[in-house]
Amino acid sequence: MATRQRQQPKTWSLLGDVRRRPSAYEAVTAKFHYHFRREPTPFEHPGMPLNDWYLRNREGSPFQVDDWEDFRDPYKLTYKDYVALQHDRETYVDKLIDRHEESASVEGLSDEWVSTLRELYIPLRFPLHILQMVGLYVGQMAPSAYITNCANFQAADELRRIQRIAYSTKMLANAHGDELAATATARSAWEKDPVWQPLRETLENLLIAYDWGEAFVALNLVVKPSLDAVVNWRLSELAERNGDHFLAALLAEFQQDSNRSRKWSADLAQYALGRQPDLRQVMEGWTAAWTPRIEAAVKALAQPFDEAPVGLAATDVVSATGTQARDHLQACGL
Amino acid sequence: MPRLARSEWYDLTRDMNWTLSYVSDEDVWPQDLSNSYGIPTEKWWGWDEPYKITYPEYVHNQVGKDASVYSINAVLSRSRIFEELDPGWKSAILAHYGAIAVPEYLAGIGEARMGRFGRAAAWRNMATYGTLDETRHGQIQTYFPYGLLAKEPRADWAHKTMHTNEWGAIAARSLFDDMFTANDAVSTAIQLTFTFETGFTNLQFLGMAADAMKVGDVDFGALISSIQTDEARHSQQGEPTVKILIANGQGEVAQKLVDHMFWRSWHVFALLTGLSMDYYTPLEHRTHSFKEFMEELIVKQFMDQFRDFGLEVPWYWKEHFLPELDWYHHALHLGVWFWRPTVWWNPDAGVSPAEREWLEEKYPGWNDSFGQYWDVITANVRDGHPELTLPETFPTICNMCQIPLVNPAGFNAGRLAHPEPLIVDRDGRRLLFCSEPCKWVYEQNPARFAGQLSLVDRFLAGHIQPPTMEGALAYMSLSLAEMGQDATNYAWAFEKQLAVPGT
Repeated sequence: MATRQRQQPKTWSLLGDVRRRPSAYEAVTAKFHYHFRREPTPFEHPGMPLNDWYLRNREGSPFQVDDWEDFRDPYKLTYKDYVALQHDRETYVDKLIDRHEESASVEGLSDEWVSTLRELYIPLRFPLHILQMVGLYVGQMAPSAYITNCANFQAADELRRIQRIAYSTKMLANAHGDELAATATARSAWEKDPVWQPLRETLENLLIAYDWGEAFVALNLVVKPSLDAVVNWRLSELAERNGDHFLAALLAEFQQDSNRSRKWSADLAQYALGRQPDLRQVMEGWTAAWTPRIEAAVKALAQPFDEAPVGLAATDVVSATGTQARDHLQACGL
Repeated sequence: MPRLARSEWYDLTRDMNWTLSYVSDEDVWPQDLSNSYGIPTEKWWGWDEPYKITYPEYVHNQVGKDASVYSINAVLSRSRIFEELDPGWKSAILAHYGAIAVPEYLAGIGEARMGRFGRAAAWRNMATYGTLDETRHGQIQTYFPYGLLAKEPRADWAHKTMHTNEWGAIAARSLFDDMFTANDAVSTAIQLTFTFETGFTNLQFLGMAADAMKVGDVDFGALISSIQTDEARHSQQGEPTVKILIANGQGEVAQKLVDHMFWRSWHVFALLTGLSMDYYTPLEHRTHSFKEFMEELIVKQFMDQFRDFGLEVPWYWKEHFLPELDWYHHALHLGVWFWRPTVWWNPDAGVSPAEREWLEEKYPGWNDSFGQYWDVITANVRDGHPELTLPETFPTICNMCQIPLVNPAGFNAGRLAHPEPLIVDRDGRRLLFCSEPCKWVYEQNPARFAGQLSLVDRFLAGHIQPPTMEGALAYMSLSLAEMGQDATNYAWAFEKQLAVPGT
């Protein structure tokens, strides 16, 4: 076989004749999901049952545009960038904890405030774990690695938040009673306390929203933005009012992750609407279905805010959360 | 640093198992995505990972690992190290990138599936790290070859292989879709992490990293050894899953899943690593033969694992697997070299006199069995007829592993009782299998595998047009510049046997 010199390639051949050399982010993200819209089936053996799952919930989703590969994460995160970013943020959290461990600030919290935390804060790892699970579902179903990576990093951010909540729960338990760190304390509140049931119902249903478009819209456009608003904004504010500066700062730190989620989600929603304006109806159908559910959940969760030692009116919690939720939908073009 | 030791708060990060009230277990963990094998929900909650890690530890560790590997690449990509690498070694890493880079990213789908459909919160957490790890491995193993594009156009295959119908790509896709991209979460834990990663890749990466350093490929060595440290962690999701299956009377299920995937992994491993170790790695840098590597690391580790968990060695171990260590990859090497225009790397014949001597030493009888083919090939090359060493027809392909059948070479080497493939007529279709275990894997789950056409089936069905060698090469997305050629332009054929001193 004769050797023939090929013209020096600018980039991967699958990216075609590009006008500019793709960035490093694009080179390690573009066109990785060979199985999306692959004929005759996504996966090599047509008899694999997951072909039907993907054909139904991904290729068969009403959430379609001609090409998802032009979507870009506004932060253009590669894995390397993601861990570098979160290494910095976690270093900050380590120092925040150092400072409060040194001053033993948790020991100084009042019994009444600890009681509020028992009801409102300690069970949080359960619902936030469901956000992690659904984030990974969106990641594994998304039609482009540009979307998958955003969703997977978001799921890892949930893990991050849960772990710091777990750590601070143990700090609380060491200062105010071991029972606070018992699984049963969080689990029984999550399973039985009326405050949590509307949220649990919403999230258990979110787990089975298997259409990938619906999963994305329900999670990232409706449920998570509202739940994040309650946890990272309202609860942070409530902690500050009650002199728990550690928790206030810790939860406020997670606003950065929430903002990143909102930004890429809004960009993806706008991308989809830009490519296929008819999707407005589909997306608004989903937001209309999920908004009342999360509103009911927020309303139930708002009650303990009212009852905290220095309270935050439940109506204010609901309205401020609603405002954030609406702002987000507006940013999404909905 | 925060004062509480990890062990003091770790359980609070992994106890989020609860009883569903508003939806059913079957809806949240559908069998196709998470086969419980009949084990009740709460039994899974005892899933206990042997390797503990927290998110802050994860990002603090990983940032350093990435910084180190990328900075080595940044320096070396400006050097002439790649150009000066041995041609056989270049082939080994190009074959590796094509078969492994994007599939590693796709293993992230399997990890994310376990992160969603794994049946315990602790497991889902481990799989979340696994998802991140595989994102890393997919990205880093495409970033490095991306930087090689200007020097080596075949590096394009690091990105495009899985999009093509090149035969090795079909074999890889068949394996990896079966193992993780289109597998349920419970089976993925056994087949991807316990069988493939713990059994094969973890050790392969250690071996390749050491070989790379000896060859002087510091770039690839640093990359591979860094990836291995992640694999060592996330591969441990299999062990607790196996334990739960066994503790709940489903040991037989675990055994079948392992037997199935060990065999499938072995065939692709022999194709990729067998050729690299025994033929492509420069002779002076070989520390062990592929067979020795298999026996000392893979086989020993698997035997230990089987014993530790109360599993048996697969049923085909003595009769089929161990004998193949002597001949299967040698036969594949002959086939790959002969059909070299059908692969995206330049196969290194690796049969200079000194290399043949090494092969004979490591595989007594090699000269009499495989050497005789190479004698003919060498003579044709020396006579100025390399065209006679190129293919004009197609091999037959196994309907399970999708790898061309090399049974005649196994038969001629005295390793198989007969040269013909195993034939199964099923539902009006004739299926060919290379081996009893491939036939067994297929027949364990015919609904899963039926309906797929091998490359040759497609040819015969008229999917490949024109129905010629050229048409087939185009179907496989191989341009003239990309088709494999002999890695050293036949230099090995002209090397003289060193004179024995004193004669």
